Amino acid sequence: MKHGAFAILPLAAGAAVYGFAFGLLAAQVGFPWWGVALMSGLVHAGSSQIVAVEQFATGGAVLGAALAGAALNLRYIGIIASLSEVLRGLPLRVRLMAIHITGDENWALTMAKRAHDPGVGFRFLIGSGLVMITVWTVSTSMGAVIGAALPDLEKFGLGFAFTAAFIAMARGLWRSHAQLLPWITSFAVTGAVVLLEAPKAYAIVAGALAGLIASYLIRQRGAGRG
Amino acid sequence: MTSSHWILIAVLAMAAFAIRVIGLFAGDAIRASRFAWILDDLPGLIVVSLVASSLAGQPLITWVAAGAALIAALLTNHVIATMFIGFAAYAALGWFGV
Repeated sequence: MKHGAFAILPLAAGAAVYGFAFGLLAAQVGFPWWGVALMSGLVHAGSSQIVAVEQFATGGAVLGAALAGAALNLRYIGIIASLSEVLRGLPLRVRLMAIHITGDENWALTMAKRAHDPGVGFRFLIGSGLVMITVWTVSTSMGAVIGAALPDLEKFGLGFAFTAAFIAMARGLWRSHAQLLPWITSFAVTGAVVLLEAPKAYAIVAGALAGLIASYLIRQRGAGRG
Repeated sequence: MTSSHWILIAVLAMAAFAIRVIGLFAGDAIRASRFAWILDDLPGLIVVSLVASSLAGQPLITWVAAGAALIAALLTNHVIATMFIGFAAYAALGWFGV
């Protein structure tokens, strides 16, 4: 367990900076530091939390904000499924704890280490995961403490920090040119629906669905050619 | 915190854990199904939609700052660097009265 806990420290330092920035933004839109800590400990998913908080702050419905955030977590179905060998044979409560503390960073590190050393397993995953969730919860809380003490940054364009964060997330999710047309479709449909003065939550759903349809049609066309 | 804050945290936490539990018990089956591509595509499409909803109907300064953030994202692929450069561009453009 110690091996995982120490090995994850460089990645945890990077997550701490991101967590601090998230906490600062969350405090500026009305979350107390302990509310941020509670969210970070219970949710433990950075991009999901930042999306939900932004949607909440811009007047989106609570359920819509939560679902928009949750949708970003769908990748965890694949991530957790890939851990089936690592978690095999463990008691259910240990597996449930392990999947909660599994994030992008400690999952990727565990899988990378395991590729070279099959002896790396659940102890490494849990050691690194405990460090990650602790660092994430503490850093977001510290960001919220500082954020609450700062003046209202919205007049300096703080809201744009969320937009910039989404742009960075999109860059991180970019895999290949096959995504280009679905992404353009999503962007255009969402923008059009917003300009029609529909609620943003509906625009986001419409844009995502339009992108999925575009992706499906492209795949069908590709399969037809194949 | 208001009740809305509490509900947001509770629903988000339950959804996040439910997705992980689905991955634990049904992840392999879902990944082998013909719907697996939706899991791959949906997160990116949601994020792009979020960017579009943030920019639609906004003044030129927001679009220019978004362009700066996009360049930063392409060059650095780093969330904090992109947020910092985008926010700095937005503040600078506002300062110069663009």
